[in-house]
Amino acid sequence: MKTPIIIALVLTGFSTSMAQFGTANHDVTVQVATITVLQVSAGSVTLNIASSSAVAGQDIMSVSDQSTSLLWGTNSSSQKITINSSLVAPTFTLKALALNPTQGLSAAEATLNSTPVDFLLNIGRSLGSCSIQYTGMALASQGTGTDSHTITFTIQTQ
Amino acid sequence: MIMKNRIAVPVMKVLQLLFLLSVTAELALGQITVNGGNISLAVTTAIAGSEPNAVINVVAEVRYQRQTVVTKITVATICPGQRFNLNVSATSVGGGTAAPQVSLVNGMLATDFLTGVPLRPPGGFFTASLQYVASSTFAQGNSAELGNDVHTVTYTLVAQ
Repeated sequence: MKTPIIIALVLTGFSTSMAQFGTANHDVTVQVATITVLQVSAGSVTLNIASSSAVAGQDIMSVSDQSTSLLWGTNSSSQKITINSSLVAPTFTLKALALNPTQGLSAAEATLNSTPVDFLLNIGRSLGSCSIQYTGMALASQGTGTDSHTITFTIQTQ
Repeated sequence: MIMKNRIAVPVMKVLQLLFLLSVTAELALGQITVNGGNISLAVTTAIAGSEPNAVINVVAEVRYQRQTVVTKITVATICPGQRFNLNVSATSVGGGTAAPQVSLVNGMLATDFLTGVPLRPPGGFFTASLQYVASSTFAQGNSAELGNDVHTVTYTLVAQ
């Protein structure tokens, strides 16, 4: 009575060995470095506060530009972007604001000097872009002149 | 009843011997090996506006033998907690046809890697290069925070 059972088991063994001829394996490790990239669109921005910017009866004159944009990528969590100018104490006021960010939140419009201030918040682990709005402001009482800024954007831990 | 037992014992021994022979034959014929050892791929760069650059590795190869039937090679992986992307395809195929690139996902079913391996005779081995492509998105994070992915990739030679 035991023989049929044994035959069935043996046949199962034959069936398996017929279908598979062998296996081989190895380990493959994937490592991803901490990657951060930032790029400002090409070209310089000139804000020219001219007589056309003046309104009779108002001391303050301003002009804005939205022609440049910022691209970034970071695979670290809890990141933000800050902005600062190369000028410690500019003669005239220059402000910056992130417009329409694809990731994260715009910080409040910031007045620029050499101290970094928040530009975009909560961008961690993202690929994104935004437009940059610069606003130059001058008082009539400040007279004439030129401020030449080099603007620096930095991705850092929030 | 006694007669049945006297017959059953030799039959059982013969069948056991046949089973052992079949296992031995399988070991002798079950020739598929991965040459090149364990490998590592590191994603380290990106261009602004794009996801990180993928990395390609073609150091390893699979070596496989013709069988008495047409065979194919399947691939599967085990990678607990997988976070990043890993694909594999066969290049420089000595015998058979490379299947489309396979996305290696933890716990996947065995998927065709190379098909139509010709039967023998003649005997002999073929080789095919293993082209691994590792990639990740910024949203997938990095190894410093999340750890590496370690795949145990298994290639199996089976009848087609």
